[in-house]
Amino acid sequence: MAKLTTESTVYVTYIATTPEKCWAALTQSEFSRQYFFGQIIEGDWRQGGRIRYRMPDGSEHIEGEILACEPPRLLRFTWRIVSMAGLTHLPEAIVSYRIEDAGEGVIRLTMLEEHPTPIDERLLGGGRSGWPAILSGLKSLLETGAVPKIAPPTPPQEMLDYMKEHSA
Amino acid sequence: MSAYVYVTYIYATPQKVWDAITKPEFARQYWLHYNVSDWKKGSRWEHRNGDDSGTVMIDGTVLECDPPHKLVMTWTRPDRSKEPSRVTFDIAEYNAGLVCLTVTHDQLEHDPAMAASISGGWPKVLSNLKSLLENGKTENIWLTKNKEG
Repeated sequence: MAKLTTESTVYVTYIATTPEKCWAALTQSEFSRQYFFGQIIEGDWRQGGRIRYRMPDGSEHIEGEILACEPPRLLRFTWRIVSMAGLTHLPEAIVSYRIEDAGEGVIRLTMLEEHPTPIDERLLGGGRSGWPAILSGLKSLLETGAVPKIAPPTPPQEMLDYMKEHSA
Repeated sequence: MSAYVYVTYIYATPQKVWDAITKPEFARQYWLHYNVSDWKKGSRWEHRNGDDSGTVMIDGTVLECDPPHKLVMTWTRPDRSKEPSRVTFDIAEYNAGLVCLTVTHDQLEHDPAMAASISGGWPKVLSNLKSLLENGKTENIWLTKNKEG
């Protein structure tokens, strides 16, 4: 019997940049391509607007609705997986990016992944392995200007098992 | 909370990351504190204040030491008012020139105040460590209030 959870995942990083530059990096595809595993972000940047992450080949990967859009401080949106085998039936998650001042020329970026509808706990490892790679790359990009080349981490085995079990 | 985990990817070698954690002259550049030990299994280690006082803030025992890949130690309040927790540094070469550093701070069941404090602290320490190794600079983020804490 699968164990269900509503546990959240949080990732905090401090970045030597401005809130505006961090907001641009989170919401503009010329940046997302460089640190978000090559994915392309698109959004209608207002509350109620749609948001998408496309794979590097243009196919839709994540799709959702923007719940809060307060540049350059808060972006909150629903997160529905469109294209990964074994995961497309999942209930929506909610992802937020919060940007706060953390000293002179430094911001604190907090990513929160919430699961209001319970999911199999084996799935939490996906975000917990992916977000640190994505947001480490974002920090490197904003601080050094060099394009990070962090390959997507392999999800934990228990998540791969889940995906196999649920693939059509 | 019984276990806190923080993962960061750093453009550096495992040896550089190891040195940044274990050598006071490195740690003082990005941490408010620094670590002192001979880094042998069973040895004592001390986490000292980076101000001139050098006050011991935390101490403990080195449980495992496998440079430059793994360091495990107990994390004890000097007044022994709570059971110790445990910190593990895993330093793995992810691909050429890129390290995946995982810090696991567990066995925190007996000390919720410590759990709150370290979950605000590790993101600061490890963000600054990454900045220092990647661009030679650190940020003054220590006075920022921890939302978590």
